[in-house]
Amino acid sequence: MDIGNSTKECLIKGKKNPKLLILGCAVMEQELRKFQNGQTEFKFFDYGLHRTPENMTKALQVEIDQVQEEDYDGIVLGYGLCSNGIVGLHSSKHSLIIPRIHDCISLFLGSPEAYREQSAEHPGTYYLTPGWIERGQTPISKYESYARSYDEETARWVLHEEMKHYTRIALIDTGVYPIELYREGAKENAKFLGVAYEELRGSPQLFRELICGPWEQNFLIVEKGHSVQQEMFLDL
Amino acid sequence: MRQVNKNRKTADVLIRTHPFHDGQEIDQGFQDLSQAVLMRDCRLVKELTEGMVEEGMDLFEILNHGLIPGMVEASERFRRGEFFIPELLMSSRALKFGLNVLRPLMRERKKDVLGKVVVGTVKFDLHDIGKNLVIILLEGDGFEIIDLGVDVSPEKFVKAIEKNEAKLLAMSSLLTSTMSWMKFTIELLHATGLKRKVKTMVGGAPVTPIFAKNIGADGYCREATSAPSLARELLGIEGDEATVIPK
Repeated sequence: MDIGNSTKECLIKGKKNPKLLILGCAVMEQELRKFQNGQTEFKFFDYGLHRTPENMTKALQVEIDQVQEEDYDGIVLGYGLCSNGIVGLHSSKHSLIIPRIHDCISLFLGSPEAYREQSAEHPGTYYLTPGWIERGQTPISKYESYARSYDEETARWVLHEEMKHYTRIALIDTGVYPIELYREGAKENAKFLGVAYEELRGSPQLFRELICGPWEQNFLIVEKGHSVQQEMFLDL
Repeated sequence: MRQVNKNRKTADVLIRTHPFHDGQEIDQGFQDLSQAVLMRDCRLVKELTEGMVEEGMDLFEILNHGLIPGMVEASERFRRGEFFIPELLMSSRALKFGLNVLRPLMRERKKDVLGKVVVGTVKFDLHDIGKNLVIILLEGDGFEIIDLGVDVSPEKFVKAIEKNEAKLLAMSSLLTSTMSWMKFTIELLHATGLKRKVKTMVGGAPVTPIFAKNIGADGYCREATSAPSLARELLGIEGDEATVIPK
């Protein structure tokens, strides 16, 4: 498959200190900014785009199309495949550097393998991170938003239908935030759902590589003129 | 108007999607019923459906021109981000109120169920809102459902198909990280020799027609509401008459 991921032909990897534009999800803003250097610029998008993948593609493509060729050496996505929200993205001016992951949980845990292990052992996990708590959603905040639109009984029923198979809340500590500030909130969510609570040790490793390179095994580089395909992310 | 769905065959996989706004005139009563499903009004859906039954209207027309289009529209609004999970779930619940009126009457008129369908969400995936909607619709259409729930392994699918002599397997997945289990399940069906006896259909938000084709599925549904017509097509059941003994 021609995904333009050959190291030899990859211009961006030959550059020392390439100037990068990072387009990322708001839930990982702090983790990404930790590795900011003078050469990177950021733009963050609302976490809710993952629920409407078609809108995610549109929002990101508009941004990619606006970028001038001379302003950057490459564009990095702070997104995984995210329910196909990045499928079809393309740039005629830059390479797109993308973590080869299904969603952000691999980034927070530090590797796709760590995520696979967690999913296999505890498929019913609702993952939280400080960024998700601050910029995204939690079961409690979902309930509260439902209860603003509907009566309490309906809100409870909806949340139950949505969450009934979850068995655990896992708070991931990537070491970027003071986790103790988020522990009580995460525990409250576990109590609210009546599920187990656990803290998982994450890692900033993939965030670092996302911004600093060298973009090896866990990254795809989609060269200009090519577009992102779902198959690039699947191990079939 | 009898045919609500269009279908086309691309290579080996049969693809079903609903045509939206096909421009045909729809009876006001049906429109009201669709609107009631869309607006999640369970009581109104029940009343309107009962009223239509009392008037002697055709059960499948009530279903296909009244109830289903409301659910199709709710699903599309969800896809566009105009509706959220509460609206989707509440429209499904309203749809069920209508189907609960129709289903017992349909059964009375049927010689037999259309066939047994094993349904489940694949391994490591716990999402079942779409899968449960498919079940509501397939049951409403006259299929007998063996619901294996969520996080279903290929072995469990295979066992259930063997035990129940099911003709059709319907698998759902909401995560790109779990969709590959559809492929592993189809591979196990081949390995056990069962594939000759059972058709497979797949769906779920991240599943695409290309993926369905690549994994060797027999059918793909873009939305839950196309599931009954796809199931009929795959099993070679023609038209609505097959399930209804003439009055």
